[in-house]
Amino acid sequence: MKDYRIVFEKKGISRYISHLDLNRCMIRAVRRSGLPAWYTEGFHPHLYLMFPLALSLGLESVCEIMDLRLTEELPSKEILDKLNSVLPSGLHALEVREPKMSAMDITGAEYQVRIFCPDADALSLWNDFISQPEILIQKKTKKGMKEINIKSMITIRNINRQEEDLLLTLCLPAGTDGSLNVTVVTDAFQNYADKPILVKSACRTKIFSGNQQDFF
Amino acid sequence: MLNSRIEPFLLDVQKPSRYTGGEIGEIIKDKSKIDVRFAFCFPDIYDVGMSHLGMKILYSLINERENYWCERVFAPWTDMEEIMRREQIPLYALESGDEIRNFDFIGFTLQYEMSYTNILNMLDLAGIPVLQKDRGEQISPLVVGGGPCACNPEPIADFFDLFILGEGEEVNLELMDLYHKMKKAGASRSEFLKSASQIQGIYVPSLYEVAYHEDGTVKSITPLEGAPEKIQKRVMTDMNQSYYPEQIVVPFLETIHDRVSVEVLRGCIRGCRFCQAGFLYRPFREKSADVICQQGIALCQNTGYDELSLSSLSTSDHSQIEEILDNLLEYTEHQHINLSLPSLRIDNFSKSVLEKVTTIRKSGLTFAPEAGTQRLRDVINKNVTEEEVMRTCQIAFEGGYTTVKLYFMMGLPTETDEDVAGIADLAQKVVNLFYDMPEHAKGKLQVSISTATFVPKPFTPFEFEPQATKEEILRKQQILKKAVKSKKIKTMMHVSDISLMEAVLARGDRRICSVIYDAWKNGCHLDSWDEFFYADKWYDAFRKNHLEPAFYANRTRSYDEIMPWSHIDYLVSKSFLIRENQKAHAEQTTPPCRQACSGCGANQCLGRACF
Repeated sequence: MKDYRIVFEKKGISRYISHLDLNRCMIRAVRRSGLPAWYTEGFHPHLYLMFPLALSLGLESVCEIMDLRLTEELPSKEILDKLNSVLPSGLHALEVREPKMSAMDITGAEYQVRIFCPDADALSLWNDFISQPEILIQKKTKKGMKEINIKSMITIRNINRQEEDLLLTLCLPAGTDGSLNVTVVTDAFQNYADKPILVKSACRTKIFSGNQQDFF
Repeated sequence: MLNSRIEPFLLDVQKPSRYTGGEIGEIIKDKSKIDVRFAFCFPDIYDVGMSHLGMKILYSLINERENYWCERVFAPWTDMEEIMRREQIPLYALESGDEIRNFDFIGFTLQYEMSYTNILNMLDLAGIPVLQKDRGEQISPLVVGGGPCACNPEPIADFFDLFILGEGEEVNLELMDLYHKMKKAGASRSEFLKSASQIQGIYVPSLYEVAYHEDGTVKSITPLEGAPEKIQKRVMTDMNQSYYPEQIVVPFLETIHDRVSVEVLRGCIRGCRFCQAGFLYRPFREKSADVICQQGIALCQNTGYDELSLSSLSTSDHSQIEEILDNLLEYTEHQHINLSLPSLRIDNFSKSVLEKVTTIRKSGLTFAPEAGTQRLRDVINKNVTEEEVMRTCQIAFEGGYTTVKLYFMMGLPTETDEDVAGIADLAQKVVNLFYDMPEHAKGKLQVSISTATFVPKPFTPFEFEPQATKEEILRKQQILKKAVKSKKIKTMMHVSDISLMEAVLARGDRRICSVIYDAWKNGCHLDSWDEFFYADKWYDAFRKNHLEPAFYANRTRSYDEIMPWSHIDYLVSKSFLIRENQKAHAEQTTPPCRQACSGCGANQCLGRACF
């Protein structure tokens, strides 16, 4: 019995696979791959797969993580090759790691967002948006709508202009202690701007554990 | 290829993977090398259509041909339809993302009557004229239909260029080959249709003229331009040689029947008189145990599914069922695959079969006695006795089952109030049986009764019979409700105008085309979804066309009446249907085909006796 942490990308069409469907899709892929998957030993044995951090529908990612348990030890290359030969378009296994941390260690993630604003300068609009004293959003809770300030949750890693697009690299909290969805930030920006804003792409680029260390 | 116009809206709708394609098993071809493009349209949403076995067979079959490309098309859910109409995005095929109006064939599978308005809606979304007469003389797109409801295609005749009757494995390719040849030669639509009408199993409705008596019944059906007088359905005579795919498209989202299935046999030996499928799919033909196992294993390996279903009208009637189960279980248990048998019969449900099923999964048992008393079961030829129900339940209870679902029909021909009360009696006896067993399983017993309104269908011995009116059904439901005494029995009854409309559409004539058209124009579609069924709009459409639903649904036909489908031949002879109808009224049963041949006529295509 051996645990493996598979790093994979989720791009193109596959970003429209919901988290629940991704689980089913990966189970079937592992079954097609012929890898010696380990099954739970209960009354209804099932293939053991774990995704430490879900990705919202519609987002792309180059750093998704799936934990897989096999009944025997295999070379990384074999695992990658077997998986990649059966994965649907857009899903691609990049790397096999030895799991060192647990899902509980995840604290944040980095996203790259490409924004286009046809009617205004996207960069100055963004600068105005982010320098507000407070960035308030409406959040649905059990007790109804609640207003929260997300400003302190947003860390800007990089701002770039690429032709007409604004390229933002943001770090946002993620994991068991609370997450901020990148679309919440872009929606807040959209509301603030009061002009049409096109989010051309949004991609998760890193998953962190404490102190901004890579999750491993 | 994801349709680029649809992509910006994918996150505004539920379940976007309905609209993306890109699944494992989908077939992508190089357009420049394709001669004929076929849009296989399922007139309901992706989740339903992707469960349909026939589509999987025909999709792979057509795509085996290098220069033909078959792609999938489904009806969008209302959220996406709204966007497509607003943004003027025409209906497209999932594989290429291309608009289907430029395809050669637009093929609809006709699985249930209440999907008819979806066909009109999909044609309209595609930008294809809904009415056949408006499609002009260019040869394509040809709108074709096949599947069980093609046995009476008259209510939708105005919308189709042609229908494919019976099993499509051979005739679909013959039709496409003819098209390919004639398109190259520059033929017109009417020239092609005339030639196609000469292929056995191809029905071109525009080549038939229908006249009516003053009382509204059909007076005559006259073939024109050399079209055959009778159009006979196509049959695959050897199931072992018949094409079956070893790879299917694996959806991302969870579909209604989310599993792979192997068709183990076609036809049915039982002859239940209400069951249209039991007559339409005759004669009975089995696939051999070896072929079934090989196909099942290949499908599991290629798709990664963990459930394999042995599908047919009555899987336990396969003469090698135990051998099939033994051989498959060896593989499926090792691979953690659930083997499911969706249609077991109550009377031959042996203990060893049950044990084999229970090693896989223990869920509730579902039985369909269909009628509450032996008298009525004899009328409908559901050859199940009360003793058999009890014996099966006993085996099931001994095996640890605690939920039993019983399915019945209401409004069957000759049904009396005693028959209705008999439903509750039968359920009560099942409850008593459980508590009388000294060592009944721990846990809560639940027996549920669900009733559906009987819909008389063409090509059954009940095609002559009236459907019970809604008032009559409501009255009988009250009788049943009063007759149920135990709290262990749950009744699920439902009455809706859908059953009435289904009865009209099933036995309708060509005049119903304008009713369907007007209902759709009034906003009807997705009618099989309760929340989108608008009875008032249907009634308005009838009134506008001066037609009465009761004429079609609640009227008794005489044996010599010309049915709207009289020119269509499903091999089962009318004299046989009349004989069976008479036996029904005399409360006489007909034994299963394996026991004695009842002379339905279906074996003519085999050139031998079925058994």
